[in-house]
Amino acid sequence: METIDNSIAVLVRNINPITKLLIVFCLGIGCLIYPLPFVGYGILCLLVILGILIGQGKQVLKLIAGFGIPVTLMLLFIQGLYSPKNITMIADFGFAQMGLEGTMYALKISSTLLIFLAAFYLMLQTTKNSETVAALTQSGLNTKIGYLILASLNVVPQMQRKVKVIQEAQESRGVEISGSFIQRAKAFLPLIGPVVLSSLTDAQERGMTLEIRGFGINGDKPTSYIKVETTSLDIVLRIIAICFLISSLIPRLL
Amino acid sequence: MKIEIKNLKHKYPSGGEALRGINTAFEGSDPIAIIGQNGAGKTTFAKHLNGLLRPTEGQILIDGESIHEHTTAYWSKYIGYVFQNPDNQLFLETVRKEFEFGPKQLGVPRHEINDRIDFVSELVGLKHRLSTHPFDLNATEKKFCTIGSILMMDPKVIILDEPTCGQDVEGNQRLTEIITYLKNNDRLCITITHDMKFVVRNFDQIVVMAKGQILMSGSKNLVFSDTKTLLESYVTPPPITRVGQALGLKDISFSKEEFIDHFTRRLHQR
Ligand SMILES: Nc1ncnc2c1ncn2[C@@H]1O[C@H](COP(=O)(O)OP(=O)(O)OP(=O)(O)O)[C@@H](O)[C@H]1O
Ligand SMILES: [Mg+2]
Repeated sequence: METIDNSIAVLVRNINPITKLLIVFCLGIGCLIYPLPFVGYGILCLLVILGILIGQGKQVLKLIAGFGIPVTLMLLFIQGLYSPKNITMIADFGFAQMGLEGTMYALKISSTLLIFLAAFYLMLQTTKNSETVAALTQSGLNTKIGYLILASLNVVPQMQRKVKVIQEAQESRGVEISGSFIQRAKAFLPLIGPVVLSSLTDAQERGMTLEIRGFGINGDKPTSYIKVETTSLDIVLRIIAICFLISSLIPRLL
Repeated sequence: MKIEIKNLKHKYPSGGEALRGINTAFEGSDPIAIIGQNGAGKTTFAKHLNGLLRPTEGQILIDGESIHEHTTAYWSKYIGYVFQNPDNQLFLETVRKEFEFGPKQLGVPRHEINDRIDFVSELVGLKHRLSTHPFDLNATEKKFCTIGSILMMDPKVIILDEPTCGQDVEGNQRLTEIITYLKNNDRLCITITHDMKFVVRNFDQIVVMAKGQILMSGSKNLVFSDTKTLLESYVTPPPITRVGQALGLKDISFSKEEFIDHFTRRLHQR
């Protein structure tokens, strides 16, 4: 996690992880329920602006461009041209006609996906995994399940570090890792075995240290070293998130 | 092969400045030792010499060509770097595969690779361990496996990062043989180490680093006589040298024999 220290970034970082999870969830589901895709794109714009404000703009845009644009185009192609729901035709490509209903549907799915992705990304970037888990256990989650979640969240950066280390070793022995995709894949494939294996042995060793320190004791609720607070800002944000979710239901009910 | 370093600075993305303006040049085949306290920036510096790390500022020229021009894979033909931590370097199933990997990448012909394996495995003492998994080697053997895998590529310059870690007398003797072999074959060996006894026994050129800079460099007589600068870099000369200095002997001693020699000479002067 990079640390950028403008006041907004600090503010976002101090929001309770549960609040953030709730916001991610409400935004995503809300957009899915809301009949028109434009709400989704509006929220996406807001997320990008938030990203820029906390110094993550480039990464968020990269995520949207790298994942969002290809997926959107693919969905548009499939749904826009071939959805059985298509009744109103808006364009004619000769080999197929583009239908309004399918297009709308494609845009909605893609906007929802992108919102989940961008919001979740921002959440991960502004929250320590340990805090998320501490917040969850504080609100009643079993400590062991909490540890399980934490361990799985931590495996990814751990593997990334290990891959980087091995790549350095390979580079200094003559392997081009900045070449074409095929070249990189060829260098990378043999690594998967050792990397996964060493992650497993790491996990086993960690398991043993945890056992030694009494992690397996049942009944006692351990004190958490990490304190996660729920401020009035959290309450306000949670209410707004839930209101958004409910408001998305209204057009459906009318 | 000449390596020139001009005003090299490096800043890790997550940390402070690890290198703060390094100017120096390496040439010839007289082995060089780099010494300095933990965190002085020795490893960071060494990783720049084959392009694993790229300068934040300043430049590195290899035979006049900027290191920027090529990838690390390209430079690995000329400059070999042996990692401080062997576990960061070994990634194959047997010692033999580790040895073959580098030269294969460089396109060395099969028969030549086999010749090199015979020679290198003898030099690093792993002749009978070629089919062992590197994880099953002990700490000393692992270190020699990493050194061997770089020797196999036969680079012009070879950088050893803390080769004496966990080494016994026999291991140090073997390292001396490797360093002598490199010198005799016109290969430059740059060694990073904390072991001052090892330094004075094997190196005449010494570079002292502290806090991301080179405090001084020169012959071992010069470097170990400058007690004031040494103190600043938290380097302590080998015990026998300190005894000589404490007695105020005129000449600096690096071995028992030298010490006895200098000491008796002073007795006779009285
Ligand atoms: N990957 C990294 N990210 C951030 N900071 C780093 C990284 N690697 C090293 N540093 C920092 O850079 C400085 C120099 O480290 P370096 O490893 O080059 O020292 P060193 O002289 O090799 O030490 P040692 O004798 O312990 O091996 C240290 O302050 C270290 O904490
Ligand atoms: Mg080091």
